[in-house]
Amino acid sequence: MASSDVLHVGIDLGTSRSSISASNGERFVVDSFVGWPADMVARKILKRSVLIGHEAVTNRTMLDLHRPLERGLLKEGSEKDVEAVRELLRHLLGLVGVKKNGKVEAENVRAVVGVPAAALRTNKQYLRNSMKGVVDSLMIVSEPFAVAYGLNALLHTMIIDIGAGTTDFCVMRGRYPSEEDQRTLTVAGDSIDTHLFNLIRERYPQANITLFMVREWKEKYSFVGEAPQRAIVTAPVKGVPTELDITKEIRTACETILPPVVETMLDLLSRVEPEFQERVRNNIILSGGGGLIRNLPRALEDALRQVGGGKVTYMEDPVFVGSDGGLALALDAPDSDWERLSA
Amino acid sequence: MPSSAVLWFDDDKIGVCGMRAVKSDRVKRQLLREAITDNVETMRGLPPQRVWTAPRKSRGWLWPASLVLIPLALLGSSHFLSAGRAPATAAPTPALVRPAFKAAALEPAPLPDPRIDSIEPVKAAAFPLAVRRVVLDAGHGGTDPGASAGPLTEKDITLDIVERLRSLLQRGGFDVVITRTDDRLIPLRERARMANSSGGDIFVSVHVNSIRDHRISHGVETYYLGPTKDPLLTRLAAEENGTSGYSIADLRQLLDRVYADVRRDESHRLADDLQQQLFTGLRGNDPGLENWGVKRAPFIVLVATDMPAVLAEVGCLSNDREAAMLRRPDYRQQIAEALFHGIGAYARKGT
Repeated sequence: MASSDVLHVGIDLGTSRSSISASNGERFVVDSFVGWPADMVARKILKRSVLIGHEAVTNRTMLDLHRPLERGLLKEGSEKDVEAVRELLRHLLGLVGVKKNGKVEAENVRAVVGVPAAALRTNKQYLRNSMKGVVDSLMIVSEPFAVAYGLNALLHTMIIDIGAGTTDFCVMRGRYPSEEDQRTLTVAGDSIDTHLFNLIRERYPQANITLFMVREWKEKYSFVGEAPQRAIVTAPVKGVPTELDITKEIRTACETILPPVVETMLDLLSRVEPEFQERVRNNIILSGGGGLIRNLPRALEDALRQVGGGKVTYMEDPVFVGSDGGLALALDAPDSDWERLSA
Repeated sequence: MPSSAVLWFDDDKIGVCGMRAVKSDRVKRQLLREAITDNVETMRGLPPQRVWTAPRKSRGWLWPASLVLIPLALLGSSHFLSAGRAPATAAPTPALVRPAFKAAALEPAPLPDPRIDSIEPVKAAAFPLAVRRVVLDAGHGGTDPGASAGPLTEKDITLDIVERLRSLLQRGGFDVVITRTDDRLIPLRERARMANSSGGDIFVSVHVNSIRDHRISHGVETYYLGPTKDPLLTRLAAEENGTSGYSIADLRQLLDRVYADVRRDESHRLADDLQQQLFTGLRGNDPGLENWGVKRAPFIVLVATDMPAVLAEVGCLSNDREAAMLRRPDYRQQIAEALFHGIGAYARKGT
């Protein structure tokens, strides 16, 4: 209530990471984990009633840990997940300077929140309801749309957003993407983790590993095709830290996403009006954490060769591309429309 | 060299670029408009939020219920043991009994189960309460006017009603403590402290609603402390809690302590009695008045007080008709009387 500033924010609420870009220039990213102390002891030790992001992951043994948009959906009826989404939003807003108790320093916070396309399709109203009251005005859009808007890639482009829970495809043909312009696959970062976990367990049955370790290794070494370097990791074997070579496993696990991603990409392409197909083929944009998989753009281009070739561009800065797009939307929307979107 | 290339196709290039920029802008605006429309439609499609279905064994119960269970399990309360043993009578062999009990004892967050209700620790009747001292709290005050309709503000209405209620209660033989007697801003935390240190038996906070989106309908509602699922209530709580002086973390700790408290049941009973008297008492004059019922919400004054505590929203300033009625002293007297009857009903049951 102190100042009458309007703060615009773009938030990318991802299955794995969430980022925020604000009109005051601040940008932050956190892991999409929210944890509540599991019991009184944990509460005493942690001295906090809720932990978010990396902190939540590191203290997970003491927490009731939630990843609210797991598999790209906000599970309906799960109050904890709704509360987790709200905590996540509040935390992100806090990072860019919005005060925590729901009341804000700027009189008016206008947020564009990008969510996984599948979440928006299935329970749009539920999502909107869940985020009510955290900001003054709220617009919810699908993540790939926010990305496309931010990159000004609104016409004859395809966004492939490989996240943790889902891989979202979206063909932009100069209109608000409809059902038929979008596809969602559940093969994504998480499914790679599971594969990798099983493969490593198969090869090193004695090694003591967790999904969290596997996730970290994947983020460090992921690749498809030719190995850029050998992936040597350390894990306890019978309690003794031991070096394991998991190069082959990483490759196998990462390549599991190739067939379904290629198939979906080609299928969507074939549905584009024939005269625009070539333009779309040459304007494929890879975003999300999956874009960090080495050689992936090249592998997709190889696949495009059978339909006449194309170009896959990888976003250098995939982390904020969604939230920046959201911010662009927020800034472009006229005041009168924001008033209609009060939340 | 690139510049010369541009010179060659000067006109053409500029033309194309210009056109493309215009087109791209148009596309952008169009898409933005569609995104906004999509959101507005989603908002319209929402089911009316104010219609409150009774808080049936909602999922919100799990959390408090688990908190109830853990201490009970530790203390080996007879209630819990009997609940745990209940299947034993049905089970044919003792071998089957044990896992059932063990599972129940170790399960940190049991599934919703009819048994949860029966485990409710102490029945209200176990505490025959003599209500002697009533703490009254007039919502808002000073620089915090609360809701308003023109010059009419929530802080003035609540103070007036509370003063009237005080004299009624005093005549009825109750001790009355008031958290504010004039137009002053008293932090919610301070109000709770005053209530606790005065040794009050019950706490009644009086507020007036103002619901932007509901100009036509108006009603009365009473809150007691509990978790809420309704985002609108969360917002309402946030608004009423604005001047609390507690951090979110403080609040959560307080809540965790209190949700598992026996006090909640007493507060619920008090809320029931107040709400019933408010509605029946006021509907006579105002057939359009709606009964919005008894609800749970985490208002600070309810959290931090040590006694059965409720918050009554006795009217609705956003409704023009009702605002006009609230301006009338006789209507405010009626509200005070309804509240007085509610407190009386509760006090009688307790003894």
